[in-house]
Amino acid sequence: MLAGQVTMGIKLGEKVSVETLTVELTRPTELTLSGTLSTPTAQTEFRRLLQDLHAQIVAARTATFEVNVEALSFVNSSAIRAFVDWISRAAHAGYTLAFKTSPTVTWHRLSFSVLKSLAPTTVEIVESRASGGAAS
Amino acid sequence: MSVAPQAERTLKLPRREAAVEDARRFAELAVTYCTPECREAVTLAVCELGENLIKYSASSDELNVGTIGVSIEDGQVRVRAVNRVTSPEDAQRVTEIVQKMTVSDVKELYRARLQELFANPSLPRAQLGLLRMAFEGGFRLSCSFEAPQLQIVAERPCTGA
Repeated sequence: MLAGQVTMGIKLGEKVSVETLTVELTRPTELTLSGTLSTPTAQTEFRRLLQDLHAQIVAARTATFEVNVEALSFVNSSAIRAFVDWISRAAHAGYTLAFKTSPTVTWHRLSFSVLKSLAPTTVEIVESRASGGAAS
Repeated sequence: MSVAPQAERTLKLPRREAAVEDARRFAELAVTYCTPECREAVTLAVCELGENLIKYSASSDELNVGTIGVSIEDGQVRVRAVNRVTSPEDAQRVTEIVQKMTVSDVKELYRARLQELFANPSLPRAQLGLLRMAFEGGFRLSCSFEAPQLQIVAERPCTGA
């Protein structure tokens, strides 16, 4: 495995769908989430995915891992909890999570700024170009 | 206990986990002509309340865990969840959370709860749903409990109706 790259159960470029949620490892260090996440089945799979991914990120010594949620239009509070847990693990392991968000989605705009406040040096927020620039 | 407005659309939520997805589709249809912001808020409220109904409603032979209603009247959208609860303690806890939200900064309450979860990953319950409804959805919440029935009402302006 190359330093800084991640391999995982989900293959690079492969789309995995769990009900209305779609997950894709779009680059070795970028996960793209789209659709909605609301059912217990999707929540369970999502949490398992993030746990596996964390282990791979640590093994690959990745410094920054990007999570593109621009097309993730809706999540329930269990998914917010999963993001909190991931940020906590990332903070302990010492890597950065860079969330690519959309300024037009209310939950992105409001919740990710609060998530960043939990661990300011671990979380970066990059708003899509529609907002007129990036912020972190 | 308040009564349903005449124009309320009501969903009887089936007793199965995937019913949250039914609730999400119900919400989208109920406010399809509203602004995107309002649609997002109502979808959030209906899904969070629906998930709570499935998690905490009294177990019984009934096919449904409770009802969720959506109505729009005088520029206000109203989401109403009614169910039978197993434990009065759960109802009391919900009442206390709602009361606390009426007198506190909801963003700060939300941040504080996320901070608790961040520091204590083993906490069994997220308890974020009502806080998200108020913080992200801009809803004012109220609730009433007449054993065994719990009612939660969430209201916010709906400029697109």
